[in-house]
Amino acid sequence: MMSAGLEIQLIAAVTAIACAIPGVFLVLRKMALISDAISHSILPGIVIGFMITQDLASPWLILLAAFSGIITVVLVELIQKTGLVKEDTAIGLVFPALFSIGVILIAQNANDVHLDVDAVLLGELAFAPFDRLIINGADVGPKSLWIISGILVLTLVLLLAFYKELKISTFDIGLSSALGFSPVILHYGLMSVASVTTVAAFDAVGAILVVALMITPAAASYLLTTDLKKMLVLSVLFGVISAIGGYWAARALDASIAGSITTVLALLFLLIYLFAPSKGLIAVLIRQKRQRTEVSLLTFLLHLNNHDSIEERRVAHLQEHINWQKVRAQTVLDLAVQNNMITINDKVVSLTQKGLEFTEKALEYIITNKDEKIEDMKDDFFLFRG
Amino acid sequence: MDITQYFTDYTLRTITLGTAVLGAICGMLGSFAVLRKESLLGDAISHAALPGIAVAFLLTGAKDSNILLLGALVSGLIGIWWIRGIVSKTHLKTDTALGLILSLFFGFGMLLLTYIQKQPNANQAGLDKYLFGQAATLVESDVILMSFVTGVSLITLLLFWKEFKLLLFDRNYAMTLGFNVKFIDGLISFFIVLAIVIGLQTVGVVLMSAMLLAPAAAARQWTDKLSVMVLLAAGFGIFAGVFGTSISASQSNLSTGPVIVLVASAFVVVSFIFSPGRGILFKQLRLLKNRRELELQKTLSFMYTIVRKHDDISRPHAIKILNNFQGFTKSTLAQLSQKQWITINGSNWSMTDQGFNAATNLYDSNKVES
Repeated sequence: MMSAGLEIQLIAAVTAIACAIPGVFLVLRKMALISDAISHSILPGIVIGFMITQDLASPWLILLAAFSGIITVVLVELIQKTGLVKEDTAIGLVFPALFSIGVILIAQNANDVHLDVDAVLLGELAFAPFDRLIINGADVGPKSLWIISGILVLTLVLLLAFYKELKISTFDIGLSSALGFSPVILHYGLMSVASVTTVAAFDAVGAILVVALMITPAAASYLLTTDLKKMLVLSVLFGVISAIGGYWAARALDASIAGSITTVLALLFLLIYLFAPSKGLIAVLIRQKRQRTEVSLLTFLLHLNNHDSIEERRVAHLQEHINWQKVRAQTVLDLAVQNNMITINDKVVSLTQKGLEFTEKALEYIITNKDEKIEDMKDDFFLFRG
Repeated sequence: MDITQYFTDYTLRTITLGTAVLGAICGMLGSFAVLRKESLLGDAISHAALPGIAVAFLLTGAKDSNILLLGALVSGLIGIWWIRGIVSKTHLKTDTALGLILSLFFGFGMLLLTYIQKQPNANQAGLDKYLFGQAATLVESDVILMSFVTGVSLITLLLFWKEFKLLLFDRNYAMTLGFNVKFIDGLISFFIVLAIVIGLQTVGVVLMSAMLLAPAAAARQWTDKLSVMVLLAAGFGIFAGVFGTSISASQSNLSTGPVIVLVASAFVVVSFIFSPGRGILFKQLRLLKNRRELELQKTLSFMYTIVRKHDDISRPHAIKILNNFQGFTKSTLAQLSQKQWITINGSNWSMTDQGFNAATNLYDSNKVES
C-alpha cells in the first residue's frame, strides 16, 4: 500500500510517458493540434456514455469518448478532403462544434450530477488515488494508474511492433507507401492511440495537461536532437521530470497539480528554447549575427578587390562608402585582421595574399554556385555552412 | 418568444447586441486569420489569455472586467509574440508552436487560478466565467466597449485595407515595395488578439476559436473577393450571434456560447454544401454532368468509327454490335436519338447526317490538331 502522494506521482509519471510517445510522432507529423482537438471533442462521447449508463465510472464512457475522438479525426479528414478549407481550419471547425454539443448535452441532461465541464477539462489529480480498483475484495491500487499503465503497455507494444513503419511514414510518406505500408492505416493507428491515450490521461489529469504532456516534451527534445530514438527517450525523460517536479511544486504552492506540472513543463521548454546548443534562441541569434558579420566581411573584401586606388581604401572612406555603422565596420575590420586577410597601414587597408585568395574563391563560388570551391572555408565560416 | 422583448427586456437586448457585435468583429478579423492560414491562432490565443486575467486579478485584487481584459490582452500578445518567435527562430512548426503556447499558458493560468482560490479574500468568484463564457454576465458597458473596439478595428481595416490585402496575398511583393511588413503584421495580429479577448467573457476560451473561424470559413465559400468575404463573414457572425442568443433564450438550460457556435457551424455546413462555385453539391452535379457527357461521347465516337467505314452513313446497324467494349448505355442512345443524331428502328440504329457532321466536327478536328 503506497501513500497517496507516491501514487499521484506514479500516475502523473506514467501518464507523462504514455503521452510523450505518441506526442513525438504528432509533432513530427505536424499534427500537434489534433491532440487539442481530441481532448475537447471527447466531451459528447463522455456525456452520451453517461446518459446511457448513468454511471461515471463505467468503462463505456472511456470507450465512447475514445470513439468520439476518432470521429473527430475522421471528420477533420473528410472536411479536408473536400478541399474547401485547409487542414487547420478543418480542425478548428470540428472540435468546437463537438464540444458545444457536449456542453449543451450536459446542461440539458446531467446538470444535477457531478459531471461539470470544469472537471472534464481541468481534471484533478489529487482525487485520483481515491478511486480504487478492488479485485476480490483486495485493494490493488488506484484505478487510473491501472488504466493508464495498460495503455502505456499497449502503446509500447505498438511502438516496438511498428517502429520502422512509423519512422518511414513520418519522414517520407511517399517512400512508405511505395514500400507497401499503408499510410492511411498507420495514420489512423496513430490517431487511435493518441485518442485512447488522451481519454485515459484526461480522466486522470484533465484535457489541457494531456495536450501539454503530448506536445511540450516532444517539442523540447526536438530542439535538442534530430535522432528519433533519442527524441523518444528525451521526451519520456522530460515528461517524467516535470510530472514529479510539478507534484512537489504543487505541494509547496498548495495549488492545482495539473497546473503546476504544466508550469514546470513551460519552464523546461523555456530553458531549452533559450539555451539549446545549436537550435536554441541564443545560439540562433549568435549564428545569425555572425553570419551577418561574415556577409559584411565578404562585401568588404570584394570592395577592396575591386578598388585599387588608395583613396578608395581608406578606413574612414570605407565606412562612408559602404555605409555601415561604425560598430559594425569595426567588427568587420577586426574579423578581417584576425584572419590575416587585410593589413592596415597608415589607415589604408590592403588585401593580403590570403585575403586575395579567399575573395577569389568566394567570388568563384558566387558565380558558379559549386560547393566544392568552398569546402575548406566551411570550417572557419558559418556563412558557407548553409 | 415575443419580438417586443428585444426592446423591453434589458438583459436580452444587451446580450443580443453584445453577441451581434462580437459576431461582426470576429467575422471581420477571422477572415484574415483564415486566409493567413492561422485558423487555430484563435484557439491558442484565447487559452493564452488566461494567465493574464489571473495576474491582473492578483495585482489589482479587483474584479473590474476592463482591467482583467487588459491583462488578457497583454498575455495574449505575449503568446502570439512567442508563437512567432518559435516559428521563425526554430525548426518547430506552427502547429507545435500553437499547441505549446496554448497548453503551457493555460496550465500556468490554472495554477494561478487555483492559487487565487486559496487566497483569503474570496473576491475571486466568477473568474472562471472566462473559461466557459457567460453571455448572461454582459452589461451595457461591455457592449459599449465591444462596439468601440469593433469601430476602431473597422477604421483601421479601412485605413490599411490595401496594405493588409497585399500582405495577405503577396508578402514578398509587399516587402519589395518597401512596406513595413512587420508593422502591418503586428497590427493585424494585435486586432485579432483584441477580438479574441473581448469575446472571452461571452463565449469563453474554448469556443472563441470557432467564433473567429466559422463565419470566415463559411463566407470563403461564396466569394473569391476579399472585401465581399469580410462583409459576408461579418454578416454571418452577426446572424450567428442574434440567432444563437434567441434560441438559447427561448429554452432554459441552454448556454448561449455553445448555441452560437452551433449556429455558426450550421452556416459552415450549408455553405460547404450549397455554395454555387465551390460547394459539394454543385461540384457533384458538375461531375455527374461531365460523366454523362463523356458516356455520350463514347457512344458517339464508337458509332462514328463504325459508320465511317461505310459509304452510306445512314445504313442501319444492330445495336448489339455497340456492345463490344460496352460502347453504349440505354440513356446515351435515348439522348442521341433525342438530339436527332441517330434514329432507332427496332434493334437497329442508323446515324443521321446531322449526327455524322457533329461527330466529324468533334473527332476529325481533334485528330488534325493532335
